[in-house]
Parts: sequence; structure tokens; C-alpha cells
Amino acid sequence: MLSAHDVTRSFGGLTAVNHVSLEIGAREIVGLVGPNGSGKTTLLNLLSGFLAPTSGEIRFDGTAVSARRAWQPSRLGLRRTFQLPKLPARMSVLEVMLAGGRLPAGASPWRSLLTPGAVRREEAAFLDKAMGLLAEVDLAGLADHPAGGLSGGQQKLLGLAAALMDDPAVLLLDEPTAGVNPSLRRRMADHLRRIREGGTALVIVEHDMGFIGDLCDRCLALDKGAVIANCRPDELSGNQQVVEAYLGRRRPGVPLRVVAGGTAGAKSSGARA
Amino acid sequence: MLEFCLHVLIMSAIFGIAAVSLNLQAGTSGLLNFGQIALFGIGAYAVAILTRAGLPWPAALLAGMAAAALGGFAIGRLGRDLAAEYWALATLAVAELVRLVALNEDWLTGGPQGIGGITGLFPGLDGPARALATLALAAALLLATALTARRLGETQFGRVLRLMRENPDLATALGHDIVACKVKVLAIGGAMAGLAGGLYTLYLAFIGPDQLLPFETFLIWTMVVLGGLGNVAGAVVGALLVTTLYAGIPFLKDIVALPSDLTGSLRVFAIGSIVLAALMLKPQGLVPERLRRLHAQRP
Ligand SMILES: Nc1ncnc2c1ncn2[C@@H]1O[C@H](COP(=O)(O)OP(=O)(O)OP(=O)(O)O)[C@@H](O)[C@H]1O
Ligand SMILES: [Mg+2]
Repeated sequence: MLSAHDVTRSFGGLTAVNHVSLEIGAREIVGLVGPNGSGKTTLLNLLSGFLAPTSGEIRFDGTAVSARRAWQPSRLGLRRTFQLPKLPARMSVLEVMLAGGRLPAGASPWRSLLTPGAVRREEAAFLDKAMGLLAEVDLAGLADHPAGGLSGGQQKLLGLAAALMDDPAVLLLDEPTAGVNPSLRRRMADHLRRIREGGTALVIVEHDMGFIGDLCDRCLALDKGAVIANCRPDELSGNQQVVEAYLGRRRPGVPLRVVAGGTAGAKSSGARA
Repeated sequence: MLEFCLHVLIMSAIFGIAAVSLNLQAGTSGLLNFGQIALFGIGAYAVAILTRAGLPWPAALLAGMAAAALGGFAIGRLGRDLAAEYWALATLAVAELVRLVALNEDWLTGGPQGIGGITGLFPGLDGPARALATLALAAALLLATALTARRLGETQFGRVLRLMRENPDLATALGHDIVACKVKVLAIGGAMAGLAGGLYTLYLAFIGPDQLLPFETFLIWTMVVLGGLGNVAGAVVGALLVTTLYAGIPFLKDIVALPSDLTGSLRVFAIGSIVLAALMLKPQGLVPERLRRLHAQRP
């Protein structure tokens, strides 16, 4: 579905993503882990066409992803969310949801003016879909509230729900559970599984190892822009490179274990920076 | 007095159209077009040139709208890779460029003298009857423009424009080509501004480069900001207020004994003070943008 071939991205002297190759299959759930600044968001930006790689190539469903047309992957079924959603203060939650849908009649200025019937029918269908998706993330009651007025966690949920308005084939999520409370977080894991059963592959950047372990078929670990592990989530804690990247150099006498949730707690504040 | 009121109302309607156009660009879409007067001017000059060449005014008006739409399209393309602030500066430069072309291409634009002696609207009528007919036409066109802008603001097109204004990355991530949106909204805004410019020429039977000074853009901005960025009705209210004030100040010299060379600066001073006061007292404008409550409005 989605693949990267030897992709590198530098910012000046800093190589944020370093010769990364990967392949995401249909309906796969892949976790992307790594310490702060290891290049996870940059990789997501590259995969979604928001950034051009310094070298290498990204392909989605047979076509090359180009940063000159960053909107195109989304229309072809490759969607992403943002680590910091920054939702609009002067648009309602429901409006943001509709903006995530494909409403060709309403999106055309001519048809907006000349075919009000088609615009209305299209809108009615997407309003139903939007309310359904909002209910899944507990936001239906806030449909008419300003999107920018939601809490940080709610904004993340709305960003996810809006991305789902077009039934993407691949969805790239940048820390979807940051700021989301534990009970909703568990329900979100179920929700994401259902999304996968609906035919969507997921790439999830996460610091919460418990969440990753629970959900993902496979994990990629990044450190300083390079892939240092590509394995099942339960194998991560056995990978010495991963443990060192997360916890620093191993001290004698300290048992090696990536503790579920522990790293996430320590990093959640830094992750928002 | 009746004549003066009709004049103010006609000018308000004409500038109302230009303000609705700017509001669609700046208020709805967040595009800081500081060259609005260029689009207005393209329409104004196109109508002047074409009616002089013998075209009937409705055809000239349509052609003027098309020319200004093309101008808007060009301004939109121009800024494709520019950050918003640099694009805003570029629009200011484009407007000056248009004015300088009008000033210097005598063969086409009449140079500094401009183009006068245009037949104008309703030549068969006289005096107040002619003014009334002109007002009816201008008001009808303002209404059509305002309804168009309102409709465009409430469908998916407008939602994407507002999302582009507040978070262009999110708009892109949701599959919207924001460069294409920008070009479309500038072309539409251009057509509206061209309509305003064309009406202006037809009403005054004259257009010259001095009508295209950057101050005119500032006036249109004042109307939009005073009325409320992002609200169509606000733009119309703002246009009425600013036009009345601007046209009314010279009358002060009949009431208070003011030297006539002072009224020019007094106008600018009054407009400036009002903008400042409005920004401090009612930063959202007199008719602020409203949140659209789609859920509550569902059948
Ligand atoms: N636009 C940019 N310009 C310059 N440097 C950048 C840019 N984007 C990212 N970087 C750098 O690239 C490195 C990787 O950043 P990135 O945001 O991808 O990390 P991350 O793994 O997502 O971290 P976190 O877990 O904190 O979100 C960092 O050192 C960052 O400073
Ligand atoms: Mg990140």
C-alpha cells in the first residue's frame, strides 16, 4: 500500500530521517516508536507528502507521493493527523467534520450556486456520517461548539474523526492518545481496531507502549532518524538497541524492561513541545 | 439634500460590492489582499475603454468583471509559494503597478487625465429619476453579490476557505488543494470588485488613476474591518457607514467654518480614528462572524 525507499530528510546539518525504508501492507496496524526528536513526526510528514525527502522515494498505491501536491495523497486515500491539531476557533466541530468529507457539489462554487438540491442531499448524507463518527469519540454533544475551544485531548479525537470522514485506506496517526484519558484510550483502541476491520491500514506514532502492544501487529523503532528495530511489539523490550535509545546506556544491575506506560508518562510533556 | 443622499447611497452600494468581495477574500479566506483597488480599477478601466469603443454598458460590465476575475486569478497564482505576509505585500505592489500602467499608458487609459465623457447609465433619464434608477441597479447588484457571497460561505467551498484561513495544513491533510481554492476565491472576488469598479465608472462617467490610490484599498478595508471580518452583512453595514462619513465630512465646512484644504486631511483623520476606536471597542466588528450551528439547524 504505502512504501518508503531509502528515504532521508535533513534540516541543515541535522538528519531527521536517515535512510529509512519501510512497507505498510493493507489492513496492517504498525506502531512507530522512538524517543523525542527521533524523527517520527518527520517520517509521517514525509509519508503523507507534507515534506519532500532530501533523497529517496515514497509510493502510495503505485503512485509517487509528491510534496508539490500535498493534498493529493489524502484524496487517494492516504490521510494523516497532527501531533498538535490546532483546530479552528471560528468553526464548529461539525463543520470541521464536514470539511473532512468529500462533497464535490458543495466544494464547487458553481454548483454551490446552481444546484442547491445536490448540495443539500450531499450535505445531509455527510452530516449523518459525521454525527456517527463523533459519537464514537464522545463528541456528538459538542457538535455545534467551536472546534478550537475543545480541550487538547478532544481536539486529537476530533482530528482523528475528521480524517475518517473519507474512509482512508491508510491512516497515519501522530500520537492519537496524547492527552486522552485512560478509559477513552481503551475504547479508542477498540475503535481503531474496528477501523482496521473496515479496511484501513494504520501507522501509529505512540509513546504509550501499553497501547502499542495492545494494538499493533508490528512495530518500527526509530532512533536519531534511523530504523533500529522492525519487530512484534512484545519483542521491543528484548531489543537492546531500543532499550538503550529509550533509557540511555544500560547500567549494571538494572534489569532491561520497557515498562508499559512508564515511558509515555515521562515523555508526554516533551511530546507536546 | 435628496441628491446628496442618493449619491451617498449609490456610492455605498458600489463600495458595498467591493467590500463584500474583500470580505470573501480576507474575512472568509484569510487572504490579506492589500491590492483590492487594482481589481476594482481593472473593472473600472475595462468598462471605460469598452463603452468608449461603443459597447453597451451591460456587456462592458460583464467584460470588466471577466477582466478583473482574470486579474484576481493572476494575483492568486503569483503568491503560490509565498508566505501570507509576503503575498500581502505583493498585492500592494501589484495595485501600484496597475495604477502606474493607468497613469502612463496614455493611448489606452488617457494617462493622468483618465477617461471621461462616458455615456453612463440610463442616459434617457434626468436628475433624480436617473439617480434613482442608478441606485436601484446598484442596490440590486449589491444584493446579488451579497447573496452569492453568503451562499459560497455556507457550502463546503466556504468551509474549506475558512479552514484554509485558520489551519491550512489541516485543510491540505483533508484533501483540499488550498492553492486552487485561493485562486478560485480571488477570481470570484476579482469579478465582484470588477463589477464595483465598472459601476463606479458608469455612475461617475469618469475614471482616472487618482481613483486607484492605495488609500482607496484602505477605505475598503476600513469598511470590512468596521463591519466585521467574515460576515457579509457586516461588509455592507461598514460600506454604508464609511461612505456616509467620507462623503459627509466636506459638509462640515458649511456648518463649522473650516478651510476647504483641511477637509481632505480631516476625512483621513476621521476614518483613521474610527478604525482605531472600532478596533479597541469592538475588535470583531459591528456584525461579527457567527459560528454555524449545523446540528441545531438540522431538520
Ligand atoms: N522543520 C524543521 N526544521 C528543522 N528541524 C526540524 C524540523 N522538523 C523537525 N526537525 C528536527 O528533526 C528532529 C526530529 O523531529 P521530529 O519532530 O520528527 O521528532 P519526533 O520523533 O516526532 O519527536 P516527539 O516524540 O517529540 O514528537 C528534531 O531534532 C527536530 O528538531
Ligand atoms: Mg513528533
